[in-house]
Amino acid sequence: MSRIRTLTEKATNWIWSATEPGGARGVVGALCLVIGVIITLEIVKHFIDLPPIIITFLIPVLIAAIRWGYLAAIVATVAGASSAAFFFYRPLYTFYVEDPARRLGILIFAIVAVVAAHLAVRMRRESEIVRKREKEISDLYAFSRRLAGSHSASDIFDAIQKHLSTLVGRKVALFEPHGPTGKSEQIGEGDVPQNIRDAVASVIAGRTDATAGAAIADEHGNLWLVRAVLPKTPDLGVVAIDLGRQTPAAEQEIRSRIEAVLYDAASTLEQIGLAHAITEVRMRAESERFRDALIGSVSHELRTPLASILGAATVLCNASAVAGEPRLAALANVVRDESDRLNNEIQNLLDATRITGEALQPKLEWFEVADVVNTAIERRRFAGHRVEVDLPAEMPLIHADAVLIEKALGQILANAAKYSPPGSTISVRGWRDGGTFALSVTDRGAGLSADDTVHLGERFFRGRRHIQTTPGSGLGFWIANAFVGANGGTIEATSLGENKGTTVTMRLPVPANVEQLEVISSD
Amino acid sequence: MTDAATAPNVLVVDDEVQIRRFLRSGFELDGYSVNEAENGREAIRAATLRPTDLIILDLALPDLDGSQVLERIRSWSNVPVIILSVKSSEMEKVRLFELGADDYVTKPFGMAELLARSKVVLRRKARATTGDSVIRIDNLKIDLAARNVFVGDERLTLTPKEYRLLQILAQYPGNVVTHQELLKEIWGLMHINDTHYLRIVVRKLRQKIEADSNRPRILLTELGVGYRLAPPNEPADTASS
Repeated sequence: MSRIRTLTEKATNWIWSATEPGGARGVVGALCLVIGVIITLEIVKHFIDLPPIIITFLIPVLIAAIRWGYLAAIVATVAGASSAAFFFYRPLYTFYVEDPARRLGILIFAIVAVVAAHLAVRMRRESEIVRKREKEISDLYAFSRRLAGSHSASDIFDAIQKHLSTLVGRKVALFEPHGPTGKSEQIGEGDVPQNIRDAVASVIAGRTDATAGAAIADEHGNLWLVRAVLPKTPDLGVVAIDLGRQTPAAEQEIRSRIEAVLYDAASTLEQIGLAHAITEVRMRAESERFRDALIGSVSHELRTPLASILGAATVLCNASAVAGEPRLAALANVVRDESDRLNNEIQNLLDATRITGEALQPKLEWFEVADVVNTAIERRRFAGHRVEVDLPAEMPLIHADAVLIEKALGQILANAAKYSPPGSTISVRGWRDGGTFALSVTDRGAGLSADDTVHLGERFFRGRRHIQTTPGSGLGFWIANAFVGANGGTIEATSLGENKGTTVTMRLPVPANVEQLEVISSD
Repeated sequence: MTDAATAPNVLVVDDEVQIRRFLRSGFELDGYSVNEAENGREAIRAATLRPTDLIILDLALPDLDGSQVLERIRSWSNVPVIILSVKSSEMEKVRLFELGADDYVTKPFGMAELLARSKVVLRRKARATTGDSVIRIDNLKIDLAARNVFVGDERLTLTPKEYRLLQILAQYPGNVVTHQELLKEIWGLMHINDTHYLRIVVRKLRQKIEADSNRPRILLTELGVGYRLAPPNEPADTASS
């Protein structure tokens, strides 16, 4: 009995796989091809002598085999043989064939057709496997590229989620665990039903065996597969995969396929040391936070005594007893100017901490560009530089954080003054440029070398020519860039070369509806 | 200030002895007489007991918050108050201006800057006590009683909103009035966040009163905080009226 059952099972399985990948559509397609051949032959026979008819019917068989698989090929074979007998062999319009040679011909046709179909199907499967492997390899490459570029654990989890969902070819939600409490952050696939989330939480908390993987139905009857990505540990996250509505047999089939894919993926993840990478990224973030907190509190502690030093120095500078004695006055000025510089450096460190601490939340408001330009120029001290301003009479209002933009422009102006000779001209120019408003600062100073241009945007970068001669921390341009970027703008520095001056251009988006504002608010 | 016989009294409130020390020297060298307080309670007591023309108030005090001290003092006195703070956030400035601070200086600062600002707030107070309804800034003349505005000899035609804006700012020339206050006064509470209304009226007003509206000299911007008028001309110019 059991042998019969296994036999029937095998037969069903074979038929099941034979219908793949064309299914019923393949059968219909095969029949259409045969009908097409019949019609063509019927038309052609009025003009020329027909070629050996039975060979022509090999064409639909081969096409069906390549496109739709076994079942379609066999249907095409049977239909082709019967059509030849019915339409073209005497007596016409019966399935009986008079000529024994032709009967033999049909038999040979059937054998050739089945063999050819078998070869075609195998070829097709092999080329499919090759293509799939190629895709898997390129997916894996893309995945490892993304991993290499990941700066945080959530980047890595994001990459895993994308990778798994391409591999599985279904909706995949990945849950990044946060500690052993069962709390987690979901990545990918917006809607995951509550009972599935509960199952995920219980896997993360270790209440459910992580390796087993259970299919759970949600309230709509869709099945979800819930299991840990790495069988040994839920640290790498837990996946919930939407299997859709499935019959038990189909569910079993899909599940075993997904299990295989996940197994492969998990061992790849283990090989590339993912667990290690995640720990490392988390530690790096932690130490950056610590460093920034340190800089923040140190800067604050430094500022309090600095306020006394700077204040006292300015009193000394103005006192008539000191001002009347040039040597003392010069010393008092040194104390004042250097504490001023120290104060600016501390401000830069604080701003940098705000940027890396992600505390930078632009406070958006409408503002006049001219106000920002004027404030930035007033707040900087220039060593006898001439500052030229050229702004158009008509300027759009900008919607951004005016204070951050002023600080960014101030940094650019400070750099222009620092790297150009005292007494030279610094030009500030503004113009509407399509969807943006551009503001440029041009100096007649040290310019940029090719190397400078490449590294300018980096935190703490200082040009090689200036490290020894001009004091600075290399934060200014980086801060300006971050402040403008946070407001949806861009900054770009260009130079004709060393000692040929630098132009830094800031571009801010002009809101699309800015022209209508005038109408709304006029009285 | 114009009268050398009565040196203005300044009350310096800061818990840091070093800061008080240089403020004392700086003010005394400039002809002020200086009192000190090292915490909030002492500051309030000093302001009630001694004649005070100006208060320099640090925000971070050991007992009371500087803004609480300001609120207490404002409940009975209009004495000018300049705030000192290590924080330079615009939100903080807005809050303090609305509590009645006259100016705000971020630490660290130079003595010259603080002296200049002190002079401005003292002059403003002197003007306020004379009750003059005509304000001259550069070649702009605002006559609050007659509701007339002149540039040189030419009388300007202002829209109601433009005049209202100028009027609010002219009540305390030199004082910063915050965006929110201006929006509330001119357009009402509904439009308290519509800064673009204000920007456009300011732009139009500047085109009428400024020589170059891109480089304003009269209607000045305090970025992220509000607007103020430049300090009025020395009283000598207006003595004829």
